[in-house]
Amino acid sequence: MKESDVQMMLAADVHLGTKNCDFQMERYVWKRRSDGIFIINVGKTYEKLELAARVIAAIENPQDIIVQSARPYGQRAVLKFAQYTGCQAIAGRHTPGTFTNQLQNTFSEPRLLILTDPRTDHQPIMEAALGNIPVIAFCDTDSPMKYVDIAIPANNKGKHSIGALFWLLARMVLQMRGTISAAKPWDVMVDLFFYREPDEGKDRDEEEAGAAEFAAVEYPAPALGMVGDAQWGPEAAEAGQWEADASAVATGAVPAGVPAVEWTGAAVPAGAGWDVGAAPAAAPPAGWETAAPAAPAGWEPAPQ
Amino acid sequence: MAERGGERGGFGRGFGRGDRGDRGGRGDRGRGDRRGGRRGAKRDEEEKWVPVTKLGRLVKDGKIKSLEQIYLFSLPIKEHQIVEFFLGSALKDEVMKIMPVQKQTRAGQRTRFKAFVVVGDNNGHVGLGVKCSKEVATAIRGAIILAKLSVIPVRRGYWGNKIGKPHTVPCKVTGKCGSVTVRLVPAPRGSGIVAARVPKKVLQFAGIEDVFTSSRGSTKTLGNFVKATFECLLKTYGFLTPDLWRETRFSKSPFQEFTDFLAKPHKISVVEDVEKTPVY
Repeated sequence: MKESDVQMMLAADVHLGTKNCDFQMERYVWKRRSDGIFIINVGKTYEKLELAARVIAAIENPQDIIVQSARPYGQRAVLKFAQYTGCQAIAGRHTPGTFTNQLQNTFSEPRLLILTDPRTDHQPIMEAALGNIPVIAFCDTDSPMKYVDIAIPANNKGKHSIGALFWLLARMVLQMRGTISAAKPWDVMVDLFFYREPDEGKDRDEEEAGAAEFAAVEYPAPALGMVGDAQWGPEAAEAGQWEADASAVATGAVPAGVPAVEWTGAAVPAGAGWDVGAAPAAAPPAGWETAAPAAPAGWEPAPQ
Repeated sequence: MAERGGERGGFGRGFGRGDRGDRGGRGDRGRGDRRGGRRGAKRDEEEKWVPVTKLGRLVKDGKIKSLEQIYLFSLPIKEHQIVEFFLGSALKDEVMKIMPVQKQTRAGQRTRFKAFVVVGDNNGHVGLGVKCSKEVATAIRGAIILAKLSVIPVRRGYWGNKIGKPHTVPCKVTGKCGSVTVRLVPAPRGSGIVAARVPKKVLQFAGIEDVFTSSRGSTKTLGNFVKATFECLLKTYGFLTPDLWRETRFSKSPFQEFTDFLAKPHKISVVEDVEKTPVY
Protein backbone atom coordinates (compact mmCIF):
# COMPACT_ATOMS: atom_id res chain seq x y z
CA MET A 1 0.00 0.00 0.00
CA LYS A 2 1.71 3.13 -1.16
CA GLU A 3 1.58 6.24 0.90
CA SER A 4 0.61 8.22 -2.17
CA ASP A 5 -2.46 6.07 -2.64
CA VAL A 6 -3.48 6.48 0.96
CA GLN A 7 -3.02 10.20 0.76
CA MET A 8 -5.13 10.32 -2.33
CA MET A 9 -7.89 8.35 -0.66
CA LEU A 10 -7.85 10.65 2.33
CA ALA A 11 -7.87 13.72 0.14
CA ALA A 12 -10.88 12.33 -1.69
CA ASP A 13 -12.69 11.77 1.62
CA VAL A 14 -12.90 8.04 1.03
CA HIS A 15 -12.60 7.51 4.74
CA LEU A 16 -15.61 9.54 5.73
CA GLY A 17 -18.69 7.50 6.46
CA THR A 18 -22.11 8.62 7.57
CA LYS A 19 -23.76 9.25 10.87
CA ASN A 20 -25.23 5.77 10.92
CA CYS A 21 -23.39 2.51 10.98
CA ASP A 22 -24.72 -0.82 9.79
CA PHE A 23 -23.71 -3.59 12.18
CA GLN A 24 -21.99 -5.53 9.44
CA MET A 25 -19.88 -2.54 8.54
CA GLU A 26 -18.64 -2.14 12.09
CA ARG A 27 -15.55 -4.19 11.36
CA TYR A 28 -14.38 -1.61 8.84
CA VAL A 29 -14.99 1.41 11.01
CA TRP A 30 -12.04 3.02 12.69
CA LYS A 31 -13.70 5.43 15.00
CA ARG A 32 -16.65 7.72 15.41
CA ARG A 33 -15.84 11.38 15.12
CA SER A 34 -17.07 13.96 17.60
CA ASP A 35 -19.65 15.25 15.15
CA GLY A 36 -21.11 11.75 14.76
CA ILE A 37 -19.52 10.71 11.49
CA PHE A 38 -17.97 7.25 11.38
CA ILE A 39 -14.46 7.06 10.01
CA ILE A 40 -13.63 4.09 7.82
CA ASN A 41 -10.30 2.33 8.15
CA VAL A 42 -8.66 3.17 4.85
CA GLY A 43 -6.23 0.31 5.19
CA LYS A 44 -9.11 -2.13 5.09
CA THR A 45 -10.55 -0.29 2.13
CA TYR A 46 -7.34 -0.86 0.25
CA GLU A 47 -7.30 -4.54 1.13
CA LYS A 48 -10.84 -5.07 -0.04
CA LEU A 49 -10.02 -3.15 -3.21
CA GLU A 50 -7.20 -5.59 -3.84
CA LEU A 51 -9.46 -8.54 -3.20
CA ALA A 52 -12.03 -7.15 -5.59
CA ALA A 53 -9.35 -6.47 -8.18
CA ARG A 54 -8.18 -10.07 -7.95
CA VAL A 55 -11.67 -11.32 -8.55
CA ILE A 56 -12.11 -9.00 -11.50
CA ALA A 57 -8.78 -9.95 -12.97
CA ALA A 58 -9.65 -13.62 -12.58
CA ILE A 59 -12.58 -13.39 -14.97
CA GLU A 60 -11.21 -14.49 -18.31
CA ASN A 61 -13.56 -12.47 -20.43
CA PRO A 62 -13.92 -8.90 -19.16
CA GLN A 63 -17.06 -8.43 -21.24
CA ASP A 64 -18.82 -10.66 -18.72
CA ILE A 65 -18.42 -8.03 -16.03
CA ILE A 66 -20.95 -5.30 -15.59
CA VAL A 67 -20.21 -2.08 -13.72
CA GLN A 68 -23.24 -0.12 -12.71
CA SER A 69 -24.26 3.17 -11.23
CA ALA A 70 -27.68 4.68 -11.01
CA ARG A 71 -26.45 7.78 -9.28
CA PRO A 72 -25.01 10.58 -11.40
CA TYR A 73 -21.89 10.85 -9.22
CA GLY A 74 -20.78 7.42 -10.22
CA GLN A 75 -21.76 7.40 -13.86
CA ARG A 76 -18.66 8.95 -15.31
CA ALA A 77 -16.42 6.83 -13.15
CA VAL A 78 -18.23 3.72 -14.21
CA LEU A 79 -17.95 4.55 -17.88
CA LYS A 80 -14.25 5.30 -17.62
CA PHE A 81 -13.67 2.16 -15.62
CA ALA A 82 -15.36 0.11 -18.28
CA GLN A 83 -13.33 1.82 -20.95
CA TYR A 84 -10.02 0.96 -19.36
CA THR A 85 -10.77 -2.53 -18.16
CA GLY A 86 -12.95 -3.73 -21.00
CA CYS A 87 -16.07 -4.32 -18.96
CA GLN A 88 -19.61 -3.32 -19.77
CA ALA A 89 -21.02 -0.25 -18.11
CA ILE A 90 -24.59 0.59 -17.25
CA ALA A 91 -25.02 4.20 -16.26
CA GLY A 92 -28.40 5.47 -15.19
CA ARG A 93 -31.56 3.47 -14.72
CA HIS A 94 -31.32 -0.28 -14.45
CA THR A 95 -34.21 -1.69 -16.42
CA PRO A 96 -35.74 -4.36 -14.20
CA GLY A 97 -35.38 -7.74 -15.79
CA THR A 98 -32.08 -7.17 -17.53
CA PHE A 99 -30.60 -10.15 -15.75
CA THR A 100 -33.71 -12.26 -15.44
CA ASN A 101 -35.96 -11.71 -18.43
CA GLN A 102 -34.54 -13.69 -21.30
CA LEU A 103 -37.00 -12.18 -23.73
CA GLN A 104 -35.68 -8.67 -23.24
CA ASN A 105 -33.52 -6.90 -25.76
CA THR A 106 -31.05 -5.90 -23.13
CA PHE A 107 -30.91 -9.32 -21.50
CA SER A 108 -27.44 -10.12 -20.32
CA GLU A 109 -25.96 -12.75 -18.07
CA PRO A 110 -22.86 -11.28 -16.50
CA ARG A 111 -20.46 -13.25 -14.36
CA LEU A 112 -19.76 -10.40 -12.02
CA LEU A 113 -21.46 -7.21 -10.97
CA ILE A 114 -19.79 -4.09 -9.60
CA LEU A 115 -21.96 -1.44 -8.02
CA THR A 116 -21.42 1.96 -6.52
CA ASP A 117 -24.15 1.85 -3.90
CA PRO A 118 -26.11 -1.17 -2.67
CA ARG A 119 -28.95 1.03 -1.57
CA THR A 120 -29.66 2.90 -4.79
CA ASP A 121 -28.61 -0.05 -6.93
CA HIS A 122 -30.76 -2.52 -5.02
CA GLN A 123 -32.61 -3.67 -8.12
CA PRO A 124 -29.54 -5.12 -9.85
CA ILE A 125 -28.57 -6.75 -6.57
CA MET A 126 -31.90 -8.52 -6.33
CA GLU A 127 -31.69 -9.72 -9.91
CA ALA A 128 -28.13 -10.86 -9.45
CA ALA A 129 -29.29 -12.98 -6.55
CA LEU A 130 -31.77 -14.68 -8.85
CA GLY A 131 -29.20 -15.26 -11.52
CA ASN A 132 -26.22 -16.61 -9.57
CA ILE A 133 -24.18 -13.46 -10.12
CA PRO A 134 -21.65 -12.44 -7.47
CA VAL A 135 -21.74 -8.80 -6.44
CA ILE A 136 -18.98 -6.40 -5.54
CA ALA A 137 -20.11 -3.09 -4.14
CA PHE A 138 -18.75 0.05 -2.56
CA CYS A 139 -20.48 0.12 0.80
CA ASP A 140 -20.76 3.10 3.05
CA THR A 141 -21.11 2.70 6.79
CA ASP A 142 -24.87 2.63 6.49
CA SER A 143 -25.20 0.44 3.42
CA PRO A 144 -27.21 -2.78 3.54
CA MET A 145 -24.94 -5.73 2.92
CA LYS A 146 -27.62 -8.15 1.83
CA TYR A 147 -26.52 -10.15 -1.20
CA VAL A 148 -23.29 -8.19 -1.48
CA ASP A 149 -20.45 -10.68 -1.78
CA ILE A 150 -17.45 -8.40 -1.63
CA ALA A 151 -18.07 -5.12 0.15
CA ILE A 152 -15.51 -2.40 -0.22
CA PRO A 153 -15.91 -0.08 2.75
CA ALA A 154 -15.74 3.46 1.44
CA ASN A 155 -17.52 6.71 1.08
CA ASN A 156 -19.92 6.37 -1.82
CA LYS A 157 -21.51 9.75 -1.40
CA GLY A 158 -18.83 12.15 -2.61
CA LYS A 159 -17.91 12.45 -6.28
CA HIS A 160 -14.18 12.61 -5.56
CA SER A 161 -14.42 9.53 -3.45
CA ILE A 162 -16.24 7.47 -6.05
CA GLY A 163 -13.90 8.67 -8.77
CA ALA A 164 -10.80 7.90 -6.77
CA LEU A 165 -12.05 4.44 -5.86
CA PHE A 166 -12.87 3.43 -9.39
CA TRP A 167 -9.55 4.84 -10.55
CA LEU A 168 -7.70 2.80 -7.94
CA LEU A 169 -9.66 -0.31 -8.77
CA ALA A 170 -9.04 0.08 -12.48
CA ARG A 171 -5.37 0.60 -11.92
CA MET A 172 -5.15 -2.45 -9.69
CA VAL A 173 -6.95 -4.62 -12.18
CA LEU A 174 -4.72 -3.51 -15.01
CA GLN A 175 -1.63 -4.05 -12.91
CA MET A 176 -2.74 -7.53 -11.99
CA ARG A 177 -3.44 -8.36 -15.58
CA GLY A 178 -0.02 -7.05 -16.48
CA THR A 179 -1.25 -4.37 -18.84
CA ILE A 180 0.39 -1.71 -16.71
CA SER A 181 3.63 -1.98 -14.83
CA ALA A 182 3.29 -1.55 -11.10
CA ALA A 183 6.51 0.38 -10.87
CA LYS A 184 5.40 3.41 -12.83
CA PRO A 185 2.44 5.56 -11.85
CA TRP A 186 -0.54 5.21 -14.14
CA ASP A 187 -0.64 7.84 -16.81
CA VAL A 188 -4.40 8.24 -16.58
CA MET A 189 -5.52 11.03 -14.26
CA VAL A 190 -7.91 10.46 -11.40
CA ASP A 191 -9.74 13.56 -12.47
CA LEU A 192 -10.94 11.66 -15.49
CA PHE A 193 -13.11 9.57 -13.19
CA PHE A 194 -14.67 12.47 -11.32
CA TYR A 195 -18.20 13.51 -11.96
CA ARG A 196 -18.47 16.86 -13.67
CA GLU A 197 -21.47 19.13 -13.27
CA PRO A 198 -23.10 19.83 -16.62
CA ASP A 199 -22.57 23.58 -16.36
CA GLU A 200 -18.98 23.20 -15.32
CA GLY A 201 -17.92 22.59 -18.88
CA LYS A 202 -18.90 26.11 -19.89
CA ASP A 203 -16.89 27.79 -17.15
CA ARG A 204 -13.88 25.75 -18.06
CA ASP A 205 -13.82 26.92 -21.64
CA GLU A 206 -13.80 30.53 -20.49
CA GLU A 207 -10.97 29.95 -18.11
CA GLU A 208 -8.91 27.91 -20.49
CA ALA A 209 -8.68 30.96 -22.71
CA GLY A 210 -7.42 33.13 -19.87
CA ALA A 211 -5.22 30.45 -18.37
CA ALA A 212 -2.91 30.19 -21.33
CA GLU A 213 -1.03 33.23 -20.10
CA PHE A 214 -1.13 32.02 -16.51
CA ALA A 215 0.54 28.75 -17.30
CA ALA A 216 3.50 30.40 -18.94
CA VAL A 217 4.06 32.74 -16.01
CA GLU A 218 3.42 30.44 -13.06
CA TYR A 219 5.09 27.32 -14.39
CA PRO A 220 8.63 27.70 -13.04
CA ALA A 221 7.39 28.64 -9.56
CA PRO A 222 5.48 25.53 -8.62
CA ALA A 223 2.32 26.45 -6.81
CA LEU A 224 1.57 23.48 -4.67
CA GLY A 225 -1.84 21.93 -4.93
CA MET A 226 -2.60 23.86 -8.10
CA VAL A 227 -3.12 20.81 -10.18
CA GLY A 228 -6.61 19.54 -10.70
CA ASP A 229 -10.09 20.95 -11.14
CA ALA A 230 -12.03 23.69 -9.50
CA GLN A 231 -13.56 21.19 -7.14
CA TRP A 232 -10.20 20.61 -5.65
CA GLY A 233 -10.41 23.99 -3.90
CA PRO A 234 -10.55 22.82 -0.30
CA GLU A 235 -8.52 19.75 -1.13
CA ALA A 236 -5.85 21.91 -2.63
CA ALA A 237 -5.36 23.43 0.78
CA GLU A 238 -4.88 19.97 2.19
CA ALA A 239 -2.57 19.10 -0.63
CA GLY A 240 -0.44 22.05 0.32
CA GLN A 241 -0.32 20.64 3.80
CA TRP A 242 0.65 17.23 2.54
CA GLU A 243 3.47 18.77 0.65
CA ALA A 244 4.72 20.35 3.86
CA ASP A 245 4.61 16.99 5.60
CA ALA A 246 6.05 15.20 2.64
CA SER A 247 9.10 17.35 2.35
CA ALA A 248 9.78 16.69 6.00
CA VAL A 249 9.58 13.00 5.23
CA ALA A 250 12.65 11.32 3.80
CA THR A 251 12.95 12.04 0.16
CA GLY A 252 13.94 8.50 -0.52
CA ALA A 253 10.39 7.71 -1.49
CA VAL A 254 10.03 4.76 -3.80
CA PRO A 255 8.34 6.55 -6.65
CA ALA A 256 11.03 9.21 -6.61
CA GLY A 257 12.96 7.77 -9.47
CA VAL A 258 10.31 7.58 -12.10
CA PRO A 259 8.54 10.93 -11.81
CA ALA A 260 11.90 12.62 -11.76
CA VAL A 261 12.40 11.45 -15.30
CA GLU A 262 9.10 12.88 -16.37
CA TRP A 263 9.93 16.20 -14.76
CA THR A 264 13.02 16.94 -16.78
CA GLY A 265 11.10 19.58 -18.71
CA ALA A 266 10.10 21.60 -15.65
CA ALA A 267 12.35 23.36 -13.19
CA VAL A 268 11.23 22.04 -9.84
CA PRO A 269 13.09 22.91 -6.67
CA ALA A 270 11.67 20.31 -4.31
CA GLY A 271 11.88 17.43 -6.73
CA ALA A 272 11.29 14.45 -4.49
CA GLY A 273 8.73 16.33 -2.46
CA TRP A 274 6.61 16.67 -5.53
CA ASP A 275 6.13 12.95 -5.90
CA VAL A 276 4.38 12.64 -2.63
CA GLY A 277 2.71 16.01 -2.78
CA ALA A 278 1.41 15.52 -6.24
CA ALA A 279 -0.35 12.34 -5.29
CA PRO A 280 -3.30 13.70 -3.33
CA ALA A 281 -4.22 15.93 -6.20
CA ALA A 282 -3.35 12.92 -8.27
CA ALA A 283 -2.51 14.77 -11.42
CA PRO A 284 0.55 13.02 -12.78
CA PRO A 285 3.40 15.09 -14.17
CA ALA A 286 2.28 14.29 -17.66
CA GLY A 287 -0.71 16.52 -17.01
CA TRP A 288 1.58 19.49 -16.67
CA GLU A 289 3.34 18.95 -19.95
CA THR A 290 0.18 19.80 -21.78
CA ALA A 291 -0.11 22.71 -19.38
CA ALA A 292 -3.07 24.87 -20.36
CA PRO A 293 -6.15 22.66 -20.01
CA ALA A 294 -5.33 21.11 -16.69
CA ALA A 295 -4.02 24.18 -14.94
CA PRO A 296 -6.70 26.88 -15.27
CA ALA A 297 -9.58 25.95 -13.04
CA GLY A 298 -7.43 25.47 -10.02
CA TRP A 299 -6.33 29.06 -9.88
CA GLU A 300 -9.04 30.67 -7.78
CA PRO A 301 -8.67 28.68 -4.58
CA ALA A 302 -4.92 29.21 -4.59
CA PRO A 303 -3.76 28.65 -1.03
CA GLN A 304 -0.77 30.82 -1.51
CA MET B 1 -24.32 -8.74 -24.39
CA ALA B 2 -27.00 -6.18 -24.85
CA GLU B 3 -26.50 -6.37 -28.58
CA ARG B 4 -26.70 -10.12 -28.61
CA GLY B 5 -30.02 -9.94 -26.86
CA GLY B 6 -31.40 -7.81 -29.63
CA GLU B 7 -30.49 -10.26 -32.34
CA ARG B 8 -31.82 -13.44 -30.87
CA GLY B 9 -34.71 -15.15 -32.52
CA GLY B 10 -36.78 -17.91 -31.05
CA PHE B 11 -39.17 -16.38 -28.55
CA GLY B 12 -41.43 -13.61 -29.68
CA ARG B 13 -40.27 -10.36 -28.23
CA GLY B 14 -42.56 -7.42 -27.97
CA PHE B 15 -44.79 -7.70 -31.00
CA GLY B 16 -43.78 -11.21 -31.87
CA ARG B 17 -44.86 -11.75 -35.43
CA GLY B 18 -44.64 -8.08 -36.34
CA ASP B 19 -41.07 -7.94 -35.18
CA ARG B 20 -40.05 -10.90 -37.25
CA GLY B 21 -41.64 -9.26 -40.23
CA ASP B 22 -38.94 -6.68 -40.69
CA ARG B 23 -36.19 -9.15 -39.90
CA GLY B 24 -37.68 -11.18 -42.69
CA GLY B 25 -36.52 -8.44 -45.02
CA ARG B 26 -32.92 -9.14 -44.13
CA GLY B 27 -33.29 -12.82 -44.56
CA ASP B 28 -34.74 -12.63 -48.01
CA ARG B 29 -32.09 -14.80 -49.54
CA GLY B 30 -32.86 -17.47 -47.03
CA ARG B 31 -36.51 -17.32 -47.75
CA GLY B 32 -35.93 -18.13 -51.36
CA ASP B 33 -33.71 -21.09 -50.57
CA ARG B 34 -35.82 -22.72 -47.94
CA ARG B 35 -39.24 -22.30 -49.34
CA GLY B 36 -39.04 -25.25 -51.62
CA GLY B 37 -38.03 -27.77 -49.05
CA ARG B 38 -40.35 -26.86 -46.19
CA ARG B 39 -43.77 -28.08 -45.37
CA GLY B 40 -45.39 -26.96 -42.13
CA ALA B 41 -43.64 -23.85 -40.87
CA LYS B 42 -44.96 -24.48 -37.38
CA ARG B 43 -43.28 -27.83 -37.07
CA ASP B 44 -40.06 -26.31 -38.18
CA GLU B 45 -40.19 -23.70 -35.44
CA GLU B 46 -40.45 -26.38 -32.78
CA GLU B 47 -37.49 -28.28 -34.12
CA LYS B 48 -35.13 -25.36 -34.51
CA TRP B 49 -34.32 -24.12 -31.08
CA VAL B 50 -32.38 -20.88 -30.88
CA PRO B 51 -31.02 -20.58 -27.38
CA VAL B 52 -31.44 -17.23 -25.70
CA THR B 53 -29.58 -17.85 -22.50
CA LYS B 54 -25.94 -18.76 -21.98
CA LEU B 55 -26.96 -22.05 -20.51
CA GLY B 56 -29.11 -22.77 -23.53
CA ARG B 57 -26.22 -22.21 -25.85
CA LEU B 58 -23.98 -24.52 -23.87
CA VAL B 59 -26.59 -27.23 -23.80
CA LYS B 60 -27.38 -26.99 -27.48
CA ASP B 61 -23.74 -27.46 -28.34
CA GLY B 62 -23.42 -30.40 -26.07
CA LYS B 63 -20.98 -28.81 -23.70
CA ILE B 64 -23.08 -29.86 -20.75
CA LYS B 65 -23.28 -33.60 -20.21
CA SER B 66 -26.28 -33.90 -17.95
CA LEU B 67 -28.97 -32.07 -16.06
CA GLU B 68 -27.14 -32.89 -12.86
CA GLN B 69 -24.35 -30.55 -13.88
CA ILE B 70 -26.87 -27.76 -14.05
CA TYR B 71 -28.31 -28.69 -10.70
CA LEU B 72 -24.88 -28.74 -9.14
CA PHE B 73 -24.43 -25.03 -9.78
CA SER B 74 -28.04 -24.05 -9.15
CA LEU B 75 -28.24 -22.45 -12.52
CA PRO B 76 -31.70 -21.14 -13.33
CA ILE B 77 -33.20 -22.99 -16.27
CA LYS B 78 -35.13 -20.58 -18.41
CA GLU B 79 -35.61 -22.56 -21.59
CA HIS B 80 -37.64 -25.72 -21.54
CA GLN B 81 -35.73 -27.12 -24.47
CA ILE B 82 -32.79 -27.56 -22.15
CA VAL B 83 -34.70 -30.11 -20.15
CA GLU B 84 -36.08 -31.74 -23.28
CA PHE B 85 -32.55 -32.10 -24.57
CA PHE B 86 -31.54 -34.28 -21.65
CA LEU B 87 -34.74 -36.05 -20.74
CA GLY B 88 -36.69 -35.66 -23.96
CA SER B 89 -37.83 -39.16 -24.73
CA ALA B 90 -38.23 -40.35 -21.18
CA LEU B 91 -40.29 -37.38 -20.13
CA LYS B 92 -43.98 -38.15 -19.73
CA ASP B 93 -46.61 -35.68 -18.80
CA GLU B 94 -49.97 -35.96 -17.20
CA VAL B 95 -52.64 -33.40 -16.79
CA MET B 96 -53.79 -33.62 -13.21
CA LYS B 97 -56.68 -31.25 -13.45
CA ILE B 98 -58.26 -28.58 -15.54
CA MET B 99 -59.84 -26.13 -13.20
CA PRO B 100 -62.11 -23.41 -14.52
CA VAL B 101 -61.55 -20.19 -12.65
CA GLN B 102 -63.68 -17.14 -13.05
CA LYS B 103 -63.39 -13.43 -12.67
CA GLN B 104 -66.37 -11.18 -12.43
CA THR B 105 -66.78 -8.42 -14.99
CA ARG B 106 -69.75 -6.14 -15.57
CA ALA B 107 -70.63 -8.24 -18.57
CA GLY B 108 -70.78 -11.49 -16.66
CA GLN B 109 -68.01 -13.85 -15.72
CA ARG B 110 -64.70 -14.19 -17.50
CA THR B 111 -63.75 -17.87 -17.37
CA ARG B 112 -60.24 -19.11 -17.76
CA PHE B 113 -58.85 -22.59 -17.42
CA LYS B 114 -56.09 -23.50 -15.06
CA ALA B 115 -54.13 -26.58 -15.99
CA PHE B 116 -51.99 -28.58 -13.59
CA VAL B 117 -49.46 -30.71 -15.34
CA VAL B 118 -46.97 -33.08 -13.83
CA VAL B 119 -44.03 -34.12 -15.89
CA GLY B 120 -41.50 -36.80 -15.12
CA ASP B 121 -39.22 -39.52 -16.26
CA ASN B 122 -40.08 -42.19 -13.65
CA ASN B 123 -36.43 -42.10 -12.68
CA GLY B 124 -35.57 -39.25 -10.40
CA HIS B 125 -36.87 -36.15 -12.18
CA VAL B 126 -40.22 -34.48 -11.70
CA GLY B 127 -41.66 -31.19 -12.70
CA LEU B 128 -44.85 -29.40 -11.90
CA GLY B 129 -46.41 -26.73 -14.05
CA VAL B 130 -49.46 -24.59 -13.53
CA LYS B 131 -50.82 -22.36 -16.23
CA CYS B 132 -53.99 -20.42 -16.66
CA SER B 133 -55.34 -19.51 -20.05
CA LYS B 134 -58.53 -18.73 -21.91
CA GLU B 135 -58.41 -21.99 -23.80
CA VAL B 136 -57.81 -25.40 -22.36
CA ALA B 137 -55.32 -26.42 -24.99
CA THR B 138 -53.20 -23.32 -24.53
CA ALA B 139 -53.25 -23.79 -20.80
CA ILE B 140 -52.11 -27.37 -21.07
CA ARG B 141 -49.37 -26.50 -23.49
CA GLY B 142 -48.16 -23.66 -21.31
CA ALA B 143 -48.31 -25.82 -18.23
CA ILE B 144 -46.22 -28.52 -19.85
CA ILE B 145 -43.56 -25.98 -20.68
CA LEU B 146 -43.59 -24.60 -17.17
CA ALA B 147 -43.45 -28.10 -15.76
CA LYS B 148 -40.36 -28.86 -17.80
CA LEU B 149 -38.79 -25.65 -16.58
CA SER B 150 -39.35 -26.70 -13.01
CA VAL B 151 -37.87 -30.18 -13.20
CA ILE B 152 -36.24 -31.17 -9.98
CA PRO B 153 -33.94 -34.04 -9.03
CA VAL B 154 -35.41 -36.43 -6.50
CA ARG B 155 -33.20 -38.21 -4.06
CA ARG B 156 -34.04 -41.82 -3.40
CA GLY B 157 -32.68 -43.99 -0.67
CA TYR B 158 -33.17 -47.28 1.11
CA TRP B 159 -35.46 -48.32 3.87
CA GLY B 160 -33.11 -50.91 5.30
CA ASN B 161 -30.40 -52.96 3.65
CA LYS B 162 -28.66 -51.29 0.79
CA ILE B 163 -29.29 -54.01 -1.74
CA GLY B 164 -30.24 -53.19 -5.27
CA LYS B 165 -31.23 -49.75 -6.41
CA PRO B 166 -32.64 -47.06 -4.12
CA HIS B 167 -36.37 -47.41 -4.05
CA THR B 168 -37.77 -45.07 -1.45
CA VAL B 169 -37.22 -41.66 0.08
CA PRO B 170 -33.94 -41.37 2.01
CA CYS B 171 -35.61 -40.04 5.12
CA LYS B 172 -38.90 -38.65 6.37
CA VAL B 173 -39.61 -35.42 4.56
CA THR B 174 -42.54 -33.11 4.61
CA GLY B 175 -43.76 -30.38 2.35
CA LYS B 176 -46.37 -27.73 2.87
CA CYS B 177 -48.40 -25.58 0.59
CA GLY B 178 -51.34 -23.60 1.83
CA SER B 179 -52.95 -25.71 4.50
CA VAL B 180 -51.90 -28.99 2.98
CA THR B 181 -48.91 -30.79 4.45
CA VAL B 182 -47.67 -33.98 2.93
CA ARG B 183 -45.32 -36.27 4.74
CA LEU B 184 -43.30 -38.95 3.00
CA VAL B 185 -41.98 -41.82 5.06
CA PRO B 186 -39.51 -44.44 3.84
CA ALA B 187 -41.13 -47.84 3.24
CA PRO B 188 -39.72 -51.34 2.76
CA ARG B 189 -39.49 -52.78 -0.70
CA GLY B 190 -42.70 -54.05 -2.08
CA SER B 191 -44.96 -51.69 -0.17
CA GLY B 192 -45.72 -49.68 -3.23
CA ILE B 193 -46.78 -46.06 -3.09
CA VAL B 194 -49.24 -45.76 -0.24
CA ALA B 195 -50.85 -42.46 -1.04
CA ALA B 196 -53.90 -40.75 -2.41
CA ARG B 197 -54.45 -40.69 -6.14
CA VAL B 198 -52.98 -37.25 -6.62
CA PRO B 199 -49.63 -37.54 -4.84
CA LYS B 200 -49.37 -41.12 -6.10
CA LYS B 201 -49.13 -39.85 -9.63
CA VAL B 202 -46.44 -37.35 -8.73
CA LEU B 203 -44.46 -39.93 -6.82
CA GLN B 204 -44.69 -42.39 -9.66
CA PHE B 205 -43.28 -39.81 -12.03
CA ALA B 206 -40.51 -39.21 -9.55
CA GLY B 207 -39.44 -42.78 -9.70
CA ILE B 208 -40.15 -43.62 -6.10
CA GLU B 209 -41.30 -47.19 -5.79
CA ASP B 210 -42.21 -47.54 -2.14
CA VAL B 211 -43.32 -44.89 0.29
CA PHE B 212 -45.79 -44.29 3.08
CA THR B 213 -47.54 -40.98 3.14
CA SER B 214 -49.51 -38.95 5.54
CA SER B 215 -51.31 -35.78 4.69
CA ARG B 216 -53.10 -33.09 6.52
CA GLY B 217 -55.11 -30.07 5.64
CA SER B 218 -57.56 -29.46 2.89
CA THR B 219 -56.26 -32.01 0.42
CA LYS B 220 -59.34 -31.39 -1.67
CA THR B 221 -57.54 -28.40 -3.10
CA LEU B 222 -55.62 -30.28 -5.71
CA GLY B 223 -53.42 -27.32 -6.51
CA ASN B 224 -52.04 -27.15 -3.00
CA PHE B 225 -51.93 -30.90 -2.58
CA VAL B 226 -49.81 -31.41 -5.62
CA LYS B 227 -47.57 -28.46 -4.82
CA ALA B 228 -47.05 -29.79 -1.33
CA THR B 229 -45.85 -33.18 -2.58
CA PHE B 230 -43.65 -31.43 -5.09
CA GLU B 231 -42.12 -29.30 -2.39
CA CYS B 232 -41.62 -32.42 -0.33
CA LEU B 233 -39.65 -34.07 -3.10
CA LEU B 234 -37.62 -30.88 -3.47
CA LYS B 235 -36.45 -31.30 0.09
CA THR B 236 -35.03 -34.79 -0.45
CA TYR B 237 -31.87 -33.31 -1.84
CA GLY B 238 -31.84 -30.58 0.73
CA PHE B 239 -31.49 -32.97 3.62
CA LEU B 240 -27.98 -33.49 4.97
CA THR B 241 -27.39 -37.17 5.67
CA PRO B 242 -24.11 -38.58 7.02
CA ASP B 243 -23.04 -39.87 3.65
CA LEU B 244 -22.94 -36.29 2.44
CA TRP B 245 -20.63 -35.18 5.22
CA ARG B 246 -17.55 -35.32 3.02
CA GLU B 247 -16.28 -31.88 2.02
CA THR B 248 -17.26 -30.81 -1.45
CA ARG B 249 -14.58 -30.69 -4.09
CA PHE B 250 -15.50 -27.58 -6.01
CA SER B 251 -15.30 -27.60 -9.75
CA LYS B 252 -15.55 -24.85 -12.29
CA SER B 253 -18.96 -23.57 -13.15
CA PRO B 254 -19.85 -24.26 -16.78
CA PHE B 255 -19.94 -20.52 -17.41
CA GLN B 256 -16.35 -20.27 -16.36
CA GLU B 257 -15.24 -23.47 -18.04
CA PHE B 258 -16.70 -22.55 -21.37
CA THR B 259 -16.16 -18.85 -21.21
CA ASP B 260 -14.24 -18.87 -24.49
CA PHE B 261 -17.03 -20.64 -26.26
CA LEU B 262 -19.60 -18.27 -24.82
CA ALA B 263 -17.56 -15.25 -25.80
CA LYS B 264 -17.87 -16.15 -29.45
CA PRO B 265 -20.83 -14.42 -31.07
CA HIS B 266 -23.44 -17.00 -31.82
CA LYS B 267 -25.19 -17.38 -35.14
CA ILE B 268 -27.97 -14.95 -35.73
CA SER B 269 -30.61 -17.20 -37.14
CA VAL B 270 -32.85 -14.85 -39.01
CA VAL B 271 -33.89 -17.49 -41.47
CA GLU B 272 -35.87 -19.54 -38.98
CA ASP B 273 -38.02 -16.58 -38.10
CA VAL B 274 -38.90 -15.97 -41.70
CA GLU B 275 -40.46 -19.42 -41.87
CA LYS B 276 -43.21 -18.25 -39.60
CA THR B 277 -44.76 -16.39 -42.48
CA PRO B 278 -48.15 -17.89 -43.30
CA VAL B 279 -48.34 -21.47 -44.45
CA TYR B 280 -50.14 -21.71 -47.73
